[in-house]
Amino acid sequence: MSNINTKALASPLTWASTIELLESVKVDEIGVKERVASLSTRSIKRESKLQALNYIVSMCDLTTLEGEDTEGKVLQMTAKAMRPDPTDKEVPSAAAVCVYPSLVSTAKEIIGTSNVKVASVSSYFPSGQVPLESKLLDTKFAIDEGADEIDIVINRKAFFEGDYRKVFDEIVALKEACGNIHLKTILEVGELRTYENIKKASLIALAAGSDFIKTSTGKISNGSSKEACLVMAKAVYEFKESSGFSAGIKVAGGIRNSKDAIRYLIIIKEELGEDWLHADYFRFGASSLLDDVLKQIRKLKTNAYQSSYYFPRG
Amino acid sequence: MTEIKKTYKNYVDGKYVRSESGKTYTVELKSESYELPLTSKKDLRDAVTSSKSGFDSWNKLSQYNRTQIIYRLSEMIEGNRDSYVEILLDYGLTKAAANKDIDNAINTIVWYAGLADKWEQLTGNLNPVVGEYFNISHQEPIGVVFSLNSTEISIDKLLSSFLPALSIGCSVINLSEKNAVLSLKLAEDINNSDLPSGALNLLSGDFSKILDDVSRHVEINALASYKKLNKENLKIINENASTSVKRIFHLPSEEGLSSILPFIETKTVWHPKGR
Repeated sequence: MSNINTKALASPLTWASTIELLESVKVDEIGVKERVASLSTRSIKRESKLQALNYIVSMCDLTTLEGEDTEGKVLQMTAKAMRPDPTDKEVPSAAAVCVYPSLVSTAKEIIGTSNVKVASVSSYFPSGQVPLESKLLDTKFAIDEGADEIDIVINRKAFFEGDYRKVFDEIVALKEACGNIHLKTILEVGELRTYENIKKASLIALAAGSDFIKTSTGKISNGSSKEACLVMAKAVYEFKESSGFSAGIKVAGGIRNSKDAIRYLIIIKEELGEDWLHADYFRFGASSLLDDVLKQIRKLKTNAYQSSYYFPRG
Repeated sequence: MTEIKKTYKNYVDGKYVRSESGKTYTVELKSESYELPLTSKKDLRDAVTSSKSGFDSWNKLSQYNRTQIIYRLSEMIEGNRDSYVEILLDYGLTKAAANKDIDNAINTIVWYAGLADKWEQLTGNLNPVVGEYFNISHQEPIGVVFSLNSTEISIDKLLSSFLPALSIGCSVINLSEKNAVLSLKLAEDINNSDLPSGALNLLSGDFSKILDDVSRHVEINALASYKKLNKENLKIINENASTSVKRIFHLPSEEGLSSILPFIETKTVWHPKGR
């Protein structure tokens, strides 16, 4: 699980072939809900649970995206990402830390040679309501500071105005700016409202060269949902069938406990297969989730319910 | 008219819930038979989560406000006296004994209500030290307390198994066994007393079934048993509790100032004397 970011980079398709992908987008809403409901009832036994929890830690993008973030806070969080549970060597390190561009160099400094990546949000996260030139500047700044991964937001204004071409072109331009840096595109599913919109946005983002598609900024109340994750997984599957590229999915926003996170893993495994149970293909963007997962891992090992008090802050 | 019977449920986080396991146990009384939730370890886990946040909301209130809320419980019980008497009679008490128990219960509540904003003055201290310092024993509630009710058929005893910890600001998870009809009935009046949800969770069941989880749970800060436990169980509890430095109190005092002492954490504060 250590060699993350070894997978091939995505490359954009032409607009013409993107239109073809979008033509036949239809989502069976009831079907999606039923499927999620049935997958969510699955019970996981002890051994598999421990494995799942370790996966979740290794897939975590430990995130802090607040106006009040300081270097001290990022240092603390990054240290936690590198060694989530200092008392248990079997617990893997997190996949990445996710911060604002101005704090990338701080995180990068402490990470050193560790395999934890530094992801930066850019393109005027979370709204993205600025001209493309500003988004490019923002992104280039984050890359120059040393970001290994870039999380951008799609242009929802253009999306809702029906200007899919603009959404597509902006991602292509940002992808170009990223070069060989992994690009995650945030759809903000809570704002897209319908499953069809989510699928369309997913396909546009994938066709424009996103390495990952991500559910949410975590800045609005209805962040990620299992249903949205399922629809995105289906889009990733279809895209792989048509273009051959295996993209990743990042779920973020409102996933706070292990039980919920495991349900996401089940959805991904059932829809895309075991290959996706890897930090190269699936990530959790979270701040409080990791604490609960660490508590559950120690609970499984010691048989005692745990308190966050005894785990590192971050 | 059809007779409608009440389903008694656990009181967790301000809500009335069945056991997630779906299991119940039967309490056969003189005229009624009650099916009560058999608390599982997951129910306990939920109760602890609730108590953890309940501790914060209970402590956000001023001590004066906590006094008013506890006092209100006595008003609620007085208003529903008949329904308590009915259950106590069903448990086999005489009418006089039942009424006496409720009188005692109300006295107990009023006493702890009064204590809620005075205990710190009584148990804390300014200590004499050699040097130009104030040395203060500052008093704080210990945190989340699990208390096991005694086996007696008494509302007064039930209250005495959680009010000492609750009145000083701890959040309490209280488990009753055979006499749980009383505590689940009391839950309704607790709910009407404006107690913040999670400050007090009332459970019913069999302590031996969750003993291991209670004593291991890291987030429970103290365990007080008002029921006499056998040596084997006490040994298991003490061993398990040692891993999280949980305080264990077997048959602690049930009245007076000594009843709250187990649930107090004392911090010693040094402060220079100014000139």
